[in-house]
Amino acid sequence: MSTKKFDLSTDQKQEIKDQLRDAYDFDPKDPLFGLTRENLSGSQISRRSVLRLMAVSGTLTAWHLLPGAKKAFAQKRGGILEAGWAGVGEITTLDPARINQVLQFQITSSVLSGLTHLNADLVAEADLAESWTVNNSATEIVFKLREGVTFHNGDKFTADDVIYTFNRSKDPDRSINGGLLKNVASLEKLNDYEVKFTLSAPQASFFVKTTERASGRALTIVSRGAIEELGPQQYGLTPVGTGPFRVTEHTLGQSVKLRRFDDYYDPERPVLDGVNITPISEPEPLAAAMEAGDIQLIGGNPVAPELVDRFMANSEIVVDIIGGNGFQSVFLNPWRDPFKVPSFDKPVSELMKEKGFKVRLAIAKAIDRDRFIERAQFGRGVPAFGTINPAMGFFFDENLGETSNQKFDAPAARKLLADAGYPNGDGFPTLTMKGGPPVRRDMQIIADMLKTNLNITINVEIREFQVLVPEFQKVDYDMLRIGSGGDFDPDDGIVDFMQSTSRLNGANRDKSAMAFGHFGEADVDKLGDEQSRTSDLNKRRELVQKVNRITSDKVASAFIYHPVDTLVHRKEVNFPSRSRIVGLVDLDRVSFT
Amino acid sequence: MAIVTDTQNADELEVSAERTRWLRYLLRDKRAMVGFVILGIFVSMAILAPLIAPYDPNAQAFDMMEGLSWAHPLGTDDLGRDLLSRLIYGTQISLFVGISTVAMALVLGVFLGVVAGYYGGFLDNIIMRYIDLQWAFPNFIIAVYLVAVFGTGLFNVIIAVSLAFIDDFARVARSMVLTIKEEQYIAAAKTVGASDARIMWLHILPNAAAPLIVVGTVSISYAILAEAGLSFLGLGVNPSTPTWGLILADGRSFISRAWWIGVFPGLFIMLTVLSINFVGDALRDVLDVRETRSGGSN
Amino acid sequence: MTAYLIRRIIGAIIVMFAVATLVFFMLRILPGDPIAAMLFDVEDPNAVEFLRTKYGLDQPIYVQYFKWFGHLLTGDLGQSIYGSRMDVTRTIAEALPRTLSLAGLSFVIAMIIAVPAGLISAIRKNSPLDHIVTIVAFLGLSMPDFWFAIILIIIFAANLHWLPAIGYVPLAEGFWPWFSHLILPSIAIGTPFAAVIARMIRSSMLEVLQMEYIRVARSKGLLTTRLILVHAFPNALIPVVTVMGIAIALLMAGTVIVENVFAIKGLGRVLIQGILNRDYPVVQGSIIVVSAIFVFANLLVDILYTVIDPRIRYD
Repeated sequence: MSTKKFDLSTDQKQEIKDQLRDAYDFDPKDPLFGLTRENLSGSQISRRSVLRLMAVSGTLTAWHLLPGAKKAFAQKRGGILEAGWAGVGEITTLDPARINQVLQFQITSSVLSGLTHLNADLVAEADLAESWTVNNSATEIVFKLREGVTFHNGDKFTADDVIYTFNRSKDPDRSINGGLLKNVASLEKLNDYEVKFTLSAPQASFFVKTTERASGRALTIVSRGAIEELGPQQYGLTPVGTGPFRVTEHTLGQSVKLRRFDDYYDPERPVLDGVNITPISEPEPLAAAMEAGDIQLIGGNPVAPELVDRFMANSEIVVDIIGGNGFQSVFLNPWRDPFKVPSFDKPVSELMKEKGFKVRLAIAKAIDRDRFIERAQFGRGVPAFGTINPAMGFFFDENLGETSNQKFDAPAARKLLADAGYPNGDGFPTLTMKGGPPVRRDMQIIADMLKTNLNITINVEIREFQVLVPEFQKVDYDMLRIGSGGDFDPDDGIVDFMQSTSRLNGANRDKSAMAFGHFGEADVDKLGDEQSRTSDLNKRRELVQKVNRITSDKVASAFIYHPVDTLVHRKEVNFPSRSRIVGLVDLDRVSFT
Repeated sequence: MAIVTDTQNADELEVSAERTRWLRYLLRDKRAMVGFVILGIFVSMAILAPLIAPYDPNAQAFDMMEGLSWAHPLGTDDLGRDLLSRLIYGTQISLFVGISTVAMALVLGVFLGVVAGYYGGFLDNIIMRYIDLQWAFPNFIIAVYLVAVFGTGLFNVIIAVSLAFIDDFARVARSMVLTIKEEQYIAAAKTVGASDARIMWLHILPNAAAPLIVVGTVSISYAILAEAGLSFLGLGVNPSTPTWGLILADGRSFISRAWWIGVFPGLFIMLTVLSINFVGDALRDVLDVRETRSGGSN
Repeated sequence: MTAYLIRRIIGAIIVMFAVATLVFFMLRILPGDPIAAMLFDVEDPNAVEFLRTKYGLDQPIYVQYFKWFGHLLTGDLGQSIYGSRMDVTRTIAEALPRTLSLAGLSFVIAMIIAVPAGLISAIRKNSPLDHIVTIVAFLGLSMPDFWFAIILIIIFAANLHWLPAIGYVPLAEGFWPWFSHLILPSIAIGTPFAAVIARMIRSSMLEVLQMEYIRVARSKGLLTTRLILVHAFPNALIPVVTVMGIAIALLMAGTVIVENVFAIKGLGRVLIQGILNRDYPVVQGSIIVVSAIFVFANLLVDILYTVIDPRIRYD
C-alpha cells in the first residue's frame, strides 16, 4: 500500500515510528501477545491493544497510525461551527428508525447516543453503556448502563429507554431498521441500569454493527417522551437524545442547527457552542462556500475527488485523508452471456475451463486499478481485490493485490478473452454498464480501459438510484457499477454482499431461475457464517481473509478500489485525532484553535 | 375547375413571391447574416466532424486537464479527451437534438393544432383541453418528468423534449387555422369538393407557415438549452454521445481548475443559440409575426 | 364582467381538477420503486411489503386515486413517502416563500434591466445602441442557466467574497441576509427573463411610436422624455402585460435549475427531487400548487388587462 500521497511532518513520522516500536514489542510465544484479558474486555479495547494485535498479524502499517499521527493545537472553548454537507439537498430525517444513509448518521452521532460507539480504530467503546460482560458461549451480553444521564428534554435515561428503543426498532410500522436486530432473540431489563441481550447465534460484529450509536441505528437510543410529545414527523427533524448536541432548529433542505447540550454526561464535551449544518448538493458552490469561509467543515457524501487538490492547494484549508471503509466494484451478471457461470462450486482450475468464467476473469484482469485511481480519484484510493477494506486494518489482506487472480495483466486478459472465443474482442456483444449519477466518471474510465485493453465496447448508462436499486436487487443488468461505504466490520462486506443468502445479493431476483444473485459459493457461505460467529480476533481474521480470497479469485465481481476517507475543514477548526473515525464526522471534541 | 386552378396558382405564386421577398429582406438584415454565417460554420463542422476532428472524441488518451496547446487547441477535459474533438462531434449531436426535437414537435403539434382548428367542435375541445393542460406547466418541467419516465439517453431525451414542446406549436397552428378558415379561397376550395386533407395541406398550411417558422426556429435554441438543463440534472444523454450540454454539465465542477472545460462548450451553446435567435428575430420582422410565447423552453 | 369572472374561475378550477387527475395517473407510469430504494440498506424483506401496504400502494390504482382525491378536497396533500415522511402541505408551505422571494426579486431585477433596454432600443431603433442592447439581451437569453449561475458563484462568491455562495435566509432574519442570499440566483433567473421582456417592450414600443399622435408629436419635434414615459410607454406595456402570465411560468421554470445550484429548497427543487425520488405525494402536491399559481396568475393577468385597457370588455 502506498502512502506517497501523504506528506507527513518529521514529528508525525517519529510518532508513527514510536507507536510501531511499541506495537511490535511483544514475546512471540506469549498467547496474549503481552496483553491481559482486561485489555480485550471491559468497556473498550485500547488503541494500544489493537495496534499490538495488528502487529502480531503482520498487518500493521503506517496507514493505521495516520489518524493518531496528529498535531496538537491550543484549543479554545465555544464558538459556532458552520458545516456544509456535501452532495445532498436535504437531510430528510434524523430519526434513527428511518435513517439509511451515512450522511444522516454522521449527524445523529453528535445528537443521539448508543450503548457503544466506534472509536478511531473501528473498535467499539462504551457510550451509554459503562461496561459489558459476555457469557462463555458469547450469546448473552449484559450491559451495565451509565447512571445520571439525561435526555435533552430533561428525562432520565434508564433501562426502559433501551427496551423502548428496541421495541420501536422491531416494529416495521415505526422503523425500517428492524432487520438489523434479527440476531437478537430477546432483550431483558435486569434492573434500571442493566439490560441483557440474548443472541440467536454468536455475532462478532454485535458491538460494532448493532449497539453502535451511529451505524447501528436500531439501538441508537431515542427518547420516548419526546417522540410522544413531538410526533414521529417532528422527531425526525429535531430528534431528542442524550448526545453532546441537541437539535434546536431544522429547516428541511436549508439547515440543521445543533447547540451544546449543557447536561451531557461528559462535562468536557462538547467543546463548541454549536454547529450549523447546510446541505449543499453541487460541487462548485460547496467549494466556493469553503474557500470563502461561509462554511468551515465538510461532512456528508464524500467530497468530489476533483475538489480535493483544489482544497489542498489552499493554505486556509486542511485536508485530512485516511483509508476509507468501503469497496467499489463492477458486478458481472452470472446469469447472462457472456458472463454466465451457473455454479461457482468447483475449484478455480475447473472454472477456468468455462467460457463465462474466462470472460469474467478477462474483464477483472483488464482493469488497471492504479491508472483508474490516478484518473478517477486523482490518485487517492487503494486498489481493491475484495470487499475487505484497509480501514478494517486488522482484517485487510495487503498481499491480495499480488496473489489474486484479478491482478491487472492486459496480455493475459486478452488471451483469456481469445480463449473464450473473442480474439481481439471480435464478436464480443456490446454490453451495457449501469450505475448511479455519482459514478459517471468512473464508468467512463472503466469502459475506456476495456476498450483499450480488450477492444470491447461497453455502453455506459446512468440510472437514477430509484431505478438502479430495484434492478440491482432483481439482478437485471449486464454489468453494474456499484459498491459500498460505511463498512466498519467484515460482516458488511461478506455477510451483506457475498453469501448466497446475503440481503444485497439479488434479494428480489427470480429465485426459481437463479440460485443466487451476483455470486454464490458453498465455502463462502460456510466460512462466512463461521467468521461472523468467531470472536477470537486472529481466528476471525484468518477466516475473513480466506473468504475474501475466494470472492476475489472466483470473480464474485471485478473489484476496483477502496476509496479514501477525506475530511476537509478550515485551518481554524481543530479536529482531534480521537474523533477522526472513518466515515463519521463526530463533532463532540472539535474546537476552534 | 378553371377557376379553382387559377386560385391555386395565384396562391402558389403569391407564396413564392413572398418567399423571395423575405429572403431578400433576411439577407439585408445584418444580424441575421451574422447568425447565418455562424450557423453555417457549425453545420459544416457537424457534417465534416469525422474529417476535421483531430482525435477520437471518446478516447481518454491524454493527460487530464491539459491546457491549450497546438496539439490540443482547446485543451483536454477531465478524462483526458481532446476537448476540440469532443465539441466538434458534440456539434453533430447537439444540432441533431435541436433540429429533430423541433421537427417532431412541429409535426405533432401542427397536426393537432390544424385538426383542432379546422374541424372545431368536439375534436377541438378534446385536443385543446389537453394542450391547455400541458400549457399550464413550464415545458422544462414536463421534459424532466418525461425523461424520468422514458429513461435517459439520446432518443429518449429527444422524444421527451419534443413532447414537451408540442403545445407551443399546436396553439400557434390552431389560431392561424381559425383565421385562415374564414378566407374566401377556403370556401371556394370546399365548394369544388376538395378533400379536407387537401385543403389543410395545400391551402391552410402554407398560409400558416410564417409564425410556425418563427416559433420553430427559436424553439431549436430552446431545445438545445433544455437538453443542457436536463444534462445538468443528470437526466441527459449518455456519455458516449456527447452533446455540448453534456460536456458542459459534466465539466461544471472543473471550471475553476481548468477554465477551458467550462468556457468552450458554454461558448458553443451561446453562439448557436444567439445565432438562432438573430435569425428568428429577423424572420419575425420579415414575416411580420407578432411575439407569441417567448422563452417557451423554460 | 361578474359572469365572465365566475366563468373563468370555474374554468380554472376544472383545469386544476384535470391537472390533478392527470398527474396522479401519469406518475404511476414512472419506472422505479420508491419503497425498495428507500429500504435499500434494510435487512428485513417484509419491510418493503409492509410499507407498500401502509401507503396503500398495494391497492388498485383507482382506489388510490379516489382516496387521494378525497384527501385533496379536505386540503390534505398526504405525506412524503421517501425519507422525511413530512406533510406535503408543510413542505410546500416552507418552499413557497423561497420560490416567491426568488421569483419576485428576479422579476424586479429583470424589469430594472428590461425597461430601459427596451425603451432605448425602440427609440433609437437600428442605431448602434439598439444593436448593442439587442445583442446583450440575446446573450442573456443564450446562456444555459446553470452555467451562468456557476459563473456568478465563481466570480462573486469564491473570488470576490462579496456574496454568499449558497443557501437561503428568511426575510424574518433581516433584510440584508435575505437579500444577499437571493441576489446571485435572482440575477441568474432574471437575466434571460429580462432579455425576453426587453424584446417585447421594444417591439410593442415600436408599434406605439408608429401611432398617429406620436408621429405628429415627433414631426413637430415634441418627442420628449415626458411624452415617451407618460404617453407612449404605458400604451406599449399593454401587450407586454398579456404575456406576463406566460412570463411567470418562465420565472417558475427558471427557479427549478437555479434553486438546485444555489441549494435553495424552493418549489422547483421540491418538485424535481420528488420526481427523482418517485415521491408521489410530493410531486402531486407541488404540481398542483405550481399549476394553480400559473392558472390563477393568468386569470389575474386577464383581469388586469381589462383594467388597464378600457377598450376590452368581456361579456
